[in-house]
Amino acid sequence: MSIVTQGAPLRRALLLILTGMTLLAAFAVAACRSQPEPSFGGPTVTAIASSAPPAPAGPSVAVRKGALPSAGTDVEPARLDIPELRLRATVSAVGIDRGTGDFAVPPSVDRVGWYKFGPGFQATAGSIVIAGHVDSATQGKGAFFRLGSLEDGDRITLYDRNETAREFRVVARERYAKTKIPLNRYFARDGQVRLTLITCGGPFDARTGHYRDNVVVTAEPVAAR
Amino acid sequence: MNTIPFRRLAAAGALSLVAAGGLTVLSASPAFAATSQVSVVHGIPGQPVDVYVNGERTLENFQPGDVAGPLSLEEGDYDIALTRPGEEVGQAILTVDDAAVPGDANISLVAHLSAQGEPTLTPFPNDVSKLDAGQARLIVRHTAAAPAVDVRAGGEPVFQDLTNPNEAKADLPAGSVSADVVLAGTDDVVLGPTDLNLREGTATIVYAVGSAETDTLDVVAQTIDGLHSSPGGVPSGSGGLADRGMTAPWYAVGAIGLLFLAVGARRLTTR
Repeated sequence: MSIVTQGAPLRRALLLILTGMTLLAAFAVAACRSQPEPSFGGPTVTAIASSAPPAPAGPSVAVRKGALPSAGTDVEPARLDIPELRLRATVSAVGIDRGTGDFAVPPSVDRVGWYKFGPGFQATAGSIVIAGHVDSATQGKGAFFRLGSLEDGDRITLYDRNETAREFRVVARERYAKTKIPLNRYFARDGQVRLTLITCGGPFDARTGHYRDNVVVTAEPVAAR
Repeated sequence: MNTIPFRRLAAAGALSLVAAGGLTVLSASPAFAATSQVSVVHGIPGQPVDVYVNGERTLENFQPGDVAGPLSLEEGDYDIALTRPGEEVGQAILTVDDAAVPGDANISLVAHLSAQGEPTLTPFPNDVSKLDAGQARLIVRHTAAAPAVDVRAGGEPVFQDLTNPNEAKADLPAGSVSADVVLAGTDDVVLGPTDLNLREGTATIVYAVGSAETDTLDVVAQTIDGLHSSPGGVPSGSGGLADRGMTAPWYAVGAIGLLFLAVGARRLTTR
């Protein structure tokens, strides 16, 4: 075979080839980007969740005053900073959506929600859970839009209303189909204290308006120096 | 401090800890020795006691209004005795022999006054089934020398005609409720009103104790936590902006690219 085309037909053929290559390159870039960020740190999460903090020593039979339980003394987290994501989000205390039984993620996408029934700002055991929107059909990108890009060792700082800081370090990033996610591990009130950030991810079903997956980032406290 | 006229109640086997049918089911297949969690509640005003289990002093100087435990007891029969602090077990003021503890149960053993004002021990099996996320369990037990009562929350009766030694319970949204206790069918308040803080994932057990006659009615509370469940899910996105998956348009882009390449190459090589 030899190249026999000349003049205008040659230019048109080259243009076709160039356009074709450009389109294929775009396709390739999209295909690469569509590969999910790989999970890491799963075994760490399992270890953290199953190791109990040392039990306080005491008499074999505990005796307590049978007083009525007092109002909760949990300190609420008020703000979440993630420098890597240039994120500074207000934290609201939230519970359960009565209608669905789901986590009541704050409707405003620039806020994130702390699960008020679980461990709080001063927790010494269990999982402090904060969930936020990745995005919303009406409000666009949410506070946790780029949560899934956090890497091992990235810092997260939680503040209470008095600006007291508690610093954490990312140890795991995982992605689960919502039907398979081991929520009991992330909403545990025992095991070592850790911060668990949850949002949505994976393929989006435009018909139902839901993502298929949850993205979960686990961070452990950085020892105060 | 001997204001209460204790009567020796040494009826061997008079009391079985199997107080509810549900517990007998649980203990029906004891292939191995299962342990039960047993809490002890002191609801007799004015008389601190030592508690002996199988002749061994387990609780010392146990004060009215206190809750002890839980003790981990293996399935089996137990002799339980209450003495005045420091006294020999032989001089017990209240004994129950061969009390059956089933396996895998959670029990509250309550020393209290009967409706007639006699000291007695009543075992209550505790409902420790998991709660839905956001819920709390309220259990009210009538263990006072008093007639039937209604329990009201926010002025509305929630438990009606509760008598000694029975309980009523409900799973409610966690939070604070203002509660009081009235004589059944009346507005005569005998206890409260008080703010009950019902913590999520926790059973709050409130005992009405004491005696209406001697004006010693009071409440004792016990909590059992760890009954929480996780939320059903975490729905946190509805826009689809974060979906970087390969949608049909992207495949079309790829296909058109291939087509252009093929046509272009063909034009180059043929006339």
